[in-house]
Amino acid sequence: MDELQQKKQMLIQTYKRFTRRELSPIDMQIDQDGMYPVGLFNKVVATGLLSTTLPREYGGAGFDFNATSDALRIMATGNASMAVTLEGHFKTIEQFIKYGNKQLNDKHLPSASQRIFAFSMTEPSGGSNPLGISTIAKKVGDDWVISGDKIMITNGGLAQVYCILCKTDDDQMAVFVVDKDMPGFSFGKKEDFIGLRGTPVGEVVLNKVRVPGYHLLGKVGQGLEIGDNAHADARVLMGAVLAGITEHALNVAVDYSKERKAMDTLLFQMQVTQEKIADIAIKRQNIVNLYRSAANNKVANKPYRELAAMAKSYGSRAAVISGDEALQILGGYGYSREYPVEHLIRDARAMELAEGTIEKMNIEITNAEIAK
Amino acid sequence: MKIIVCVKQVPENDSVKIDPKTNDMVRTGAQGVMNPFDRNAIETALELKEKNGGQVILLIMGPDSFTEVLRDGLAMGADSAYLLSSKEFGGADTLATAYTLVAGIKKIGKPDVILFGRQSEDADTGQVGPIVAEDLNIPQATFATKVETISATTLEVDRDLESSIQKVEIKLPAEITVRSEINFPRYETPINIVKSFDKPLTIWNEKDLNVDPDKIGKKGSQTIVTKVYAPKKETKQVKFLSKKAGDAAKTIINELDL
Amino acid sequence: MGNQEIWVYVEINNLMVEPTSFQLITKAKQIANGRKVVALIAEPKMSHLESDIKEYGPDEIRILRDERFRGANDEELADALFQVVKRNTPNAIIFPATVRGRSVAPRLQAKLQTGLTADCLDIYYDGDNLVQVKPTYGDGVMCNIICPDKRPQMVTVRPNIFEAKVDRTIKPKIQAAEFEFHEDARSEVEAEEPVDHTSTDLTNAKVIIALGRGAYSEKNVELARQLAEKLGGKVGVSRPLTDKPEFTHSDQIGQSGTTVSPDLLINLGISGAVQYTVGVEKAKKVISVNTNRDAPIFDLSDYGYVGDAGAFLEAMLGNLE
Repeated sequence: MDELQQKKQMLIQTYKRFTRRELSPIDMQIDQDGMYPVGLFNKVVATGLLSTTLPREYGGAGFDFNATSDALRIMATGNASMAVTLEGHFKTIEQFIKYGNKQLNDKHLPSASQRIFAFSMTEPSGGSNPLGISTIAKKVGDDWVISGDKIMITNGGLAQVYCILCKTDDDQMAVFVVDKDMPGFSFGKKEDFIGLRGTPVGEVVLNKVRVPGYHLLGKVGQGLEIGDNAHADARVLMGAVLAGITEHALNVAVDYSKERKAMDTLLFQMQVTQEKIADIAIKRQNIVNLYRSAANNKVANKPYRELAAMAKSYGSRAAVISGDEALQILGGYGYSREYPVEHLIRDARAMELAEGTIEKMNIEITNAEIAK
Repeated sequence: MKIIVCVKQVPENDSVKIDPKTNDMVRTGAQGVMNPFDRNAIETALELKEKNGGQVILLIMGPDSFTEVLRDGLAMGADSAYLLSSKEFGGADTLATAYTLVAGIKKIGKPDVILFGRQSEDADTGQVGPIVAEDLNIPQATFATKVETISATTLEVDRDLESSIQKVEIKLPAEITVRSEINFPRYETPINIVKSFDKPLTIWNEKDLNVDPDKIGKKGSQTIVTKVYAPKKETKQVKFLSKKAGDAAKTIINELDL
Repeated sequence: MGNQEIWVYVEINNLMVEPTSFQLITKAKQIANGRKVVALIAEPKMSHLESDIKEYGPDEIRILRDERFRGANDEELADALFQVVKRNTPNAIIFPATVRGRSVAPRLQAKLQTGLTADCLDIYYDGDNLVQVKPTYGDGVMCNIICPDKRPQMVTVRPNIFEAKVDRTIKPKIQAAEFEFHEDARSEVEAEEPVDHTSTDLTNAKVIIALGRGAYSEKNVELARQLAEKLGGKVGVSRPLTDKPEFTHSDQIGQSGTTVSPDLLINLGISGAVQYTVGVEKAKKVISVNTNRDAPIFDLSDYGYVGDAGAFLEAMLGNLE
């Protein structure tokens, strides 16, 4: 094994150990309570998981998306909420690495191993259509003053640093970095979603928040590009999370069908079960192949947006169907909240919406195919 | 405080089976991992270092691929690692293994503490630690559930002797074997994983160690494995009880007179 | 190459003979085939445990007597035993695979530069070689080990594998062993306090409720504890559950845990992997509960219940008034 491979294996082992010990045992509890238990997040920080992708010059481990996506998949086999919390953080860090100026990065990135970073685009007035953005950034001297309302932010409330997609006063799109401790910053409503219930999703209200000029991420006019890039990175990692959820469903279904009998035959020996298990396994492998292709292209500096859209479009639907098939194998137990299958379906369902709906993915994929 | 932790690589749990027909050992994707008990020993060493300063050095005997396990230990926080690797070391029993480890320890330089996990998960012997202690003529405290620093030269160790707990004050240098109950081993953080590849890892063979060729490997071993097999199981005739839990319970309580 | 004696090291625990030593005396007599069985004990002046040992009929009891054995450390014990072995090398020395046995035996082995096999499940002679049987590597693999060229042949043997049998037909010769107690001040036993320990409790428990992965839930743990209390027994677990917050390694039954020999064993959600079953072979009556009728555990059971462990536990508790 070469050094890179070995580091990756070790990273996966740490994620595996952490998941087995800290997450899997409370997976159901996290879903039922709708939040992480007190102290769990501190363990994530203490284990250094937030710095997985952070470059070494900022005190991070600097793992690429090839290793990180596999690690998140492993985590999602135990608990998808925490994997999505990390996904939200990692995708944001990526935008700092790609677009951040030196002063901005020097100031913020060293704290990214302890503080969650979030990226926010959506506003109450409408989905992910960036043209309808009404958060305004006004230039005042060297500074910018930002006002507006952002909702459905992954890790909203938990995160301490927010990238905000704004419209400038000369009608261009730009992304600014806002710290939650800045005057005029406040948290709004927390969402009560049916799935990924551990992942906090919330609102941020900005009332004339004044940020210095270097808090501009990239350039004025680059806002949409950065937004698209953040989407693509998020979708790669969500593909991995979806593969993890599907694997979780597969594991539950396999364990159950090895133990449960119907008419003196173990379930896994029956063709109806075999068809479902095979289908879930194939779907799992397809998602893995898609997100890995996307991750590998990203690492190799090749185009990966279409693959990322495929991973999330296919992955989210396939994970929901897999959960449904696993539920059917478990029968009444699958429909019960005492078994994890039903929450896997709800968890996967979130990703048919988040980071662009499945319909939006399919438009992007179609456009990419037509342009070829 | 200079601390040497001796570790071992074992096949990942459940990955080795015996083919019932051929009696051959079948390794099903047997990925090597660090013997889980050794992680407790490393954790103990790191805590001693945090308290007293010094360095934590890992030592292992085995093929070159065992560097992977050493990297794990370095990623937990150990400072350096040594692998004793040579074809000549192969087939060693506990006596020859201890002899080779002692040669490594002598070459590394006199430690204050030598730590072992209570036993290895595969061969389950747990005897290499005491042999090393005897070969180095130092005292030992085995099956430790607590290790506390009294001074730079003295530790206090709680030993769990199953039906009693023994408190031992032990002068350094000493050998300590820890139980898994002693602590919860820390995770290898992603940053420490990456840093572990910048830490020194030295490989020595039998020439580097200047060992007696008759005392290492198969030649230095007094024991021989003559047979490896899957044991025959004595089976009982099971009586299946009613599927109704209440009836099943009544049957048992009546028939066994509970 | 040593004489034709088998020595059994008699361990003292809280001023009593640790029961494994008796089991090993009986076993040594069964395999001796003409060899002399010698019980070797290192005891303080006023303790006369030879009267207990006598009951099991070794050919001879050899006593290392010194007040300082009260609170002796491993180094002092190994040194004293070494002196006795050097004077008169036996064919084999058998130690209980208790904590002390596993700590002292390897030090003695190192002094003698001979072979030692730890944690044996069986021993027998093949000619002059003591065949040492022990589990190895994972899932139900056993191996036979011999030490052909050196004497004594040394082993530590698991507690509760063999049954101790009283034998008053033999009047053992009682002999004092010659040695000098060499104090070693580098390690001092400051205190020793008896504890209620799960592993010893399990070793000696008459009733054991064993929980496996298939039956684990907080509720089932609680129910199992209630049932254990009602039946005057203890709760043990298979390996996967040692990771759970309620249990530790000392609650573990099986190859890398404790070997048990209860009158009644109730297995809940344990499939019957060999790592587990080697630890329960001596159980007398076995009831197993598993949702899989084909689980191998049923082959080792007197009674089988195919179904949910929680329902079974509740039914047992409900009917045991």
